[in-house]
Amino acid sequence: MTREMTRHDDQIIAMLLGDAPASPALEAWLRSPAGRRELTAYRQALGAFTRLYGAIRVPRPRPTAYYCVISSPIGRVLVAATEGGLVRVSFRRSEASFVAELRERLAVEVLPSPAKTARIVHQLRAYFAGERRRFDIEIDFRHVTSFQRRVLLAATQVPAGQVVSYGEIARRIGRPGGSRAVGQALGHNPVPIVVPCHRVVAAGGALGGYTGGLDIKRKLLRIEGALAATG
Amino acid sequence: MVRSALSLADLAERHRPELLAYLVRFLGDEHDAQDVCQETFLRAHRAFARLRPDSNSRAWLYRIATRSALNTLRRRSRIVARRVDIDLDDLPARVTASGEQRIQLAAVTTAVGGLPPRQRAALMLRQFHGLAYAEIAATLGGNEAGARANVYQAIKKLRAALGGLTP
Repeated sequence: MTREMTRHDDQIIAMLLGDAPASPALEAWLRSPAGRRELTAYRQALGAFTRLYGAIRVPRPRPTAYYCVISSPIGRVLVAATEGGLVRVSFRRSEASFVAELRERLAVEVLPSPAKTARIVHQLRAYFAGERRRFDIEIDFRHVTSFQRRVLLAATQVPAGQVVSYGEIARRIGRPGGSRAVGQALGHNPVPIVVPCHRVVAAGGALGGYTGGLDIKRKLLRIEGALAATG
Repeated sequence: MVRSALSLADLAERHRPELLAYLVRFLGDEHDAQDVCQETFLRAHRAFARLRPDSNSRAWLYRIATRSALNTLRRRSRIVARRVDIDLDDLPARVTASGEQRIQLAAVTTAVGGLPPRQRAALMLRQFHGLAYAEIAATLGGNEAGARANVYQAIKKLRAALGGLTP
């Protein structure tokens, strides 16, 4: 089908979109065979398009994790919280990799928000200033295994200024001999500092390991007075 | 951050669903749409301090989303041909009831995928997201007449591509 009368196209579209009413001249032309054909063709094209793209399945937005970056005596600390509570405390260098990890592991949208993270940020600042010894904040544990959760909860029971061994945590959760598994669970602590895995050390006085590096573990224990300032 | 207007978190909560829908329509790929939507709000965060409280924050978000999506298309076009594929099996059965309808709809996606990105964006914004031509212009750049021309061009191309559809 060859098409003529293209000068009418804009007017037909304007009419179909409701941008402008049809002029008397257009109405007259639309009564002609060519006009009827064009109007039908436009109606069909627009109709098929609207039906198809109107019916597209739109993904349900994923929940949001809000995050904030703060500077501290141990360097940059990134924190993230969902509606369910705190989900991450991280010492990562890269904000972009922090965001990417959250999106991938937690299937969330990520948005910086000082307002939505104000509570934890406030408490962390007080902690670093030596004005707070324990945290009063909801932790979103939905993304950890039940074993890890038990280990993390046991670690939160160790007060600031003290340290316990991996084996002691294992005993406390009823898994004597499970100190290796405890070490692994603490090594993947998603919310270090707030869950104080740095207070869990190797038997015999060695520091053991730490997600953020032993230097940070040492500094945290000094802030809490569990290590001598020169230690 | 002291603002009397809504925070970006509020704006995100309010507008993310429609932006996501727009990006799926525009990009034709749910995964890309999720990524671009995320990028949109990170960019919006960086620019938020410069957003005047009395400005149209919804159109502003559409603008950022569109620019992010155009960037994605540019990146993607270096790897694969610039195409928009809608999976017909993802659509409700009422839309794809008959084999004949499926053939028609496949023709529609091909035609839409062949539109220049700016025309495609303008068409989606006009037809599904209720943006006025002035808002589309603010989204895509250019003036109101240009925005309207983009929408009209897109429809003319669809009509030309689908000219052989059975009545």
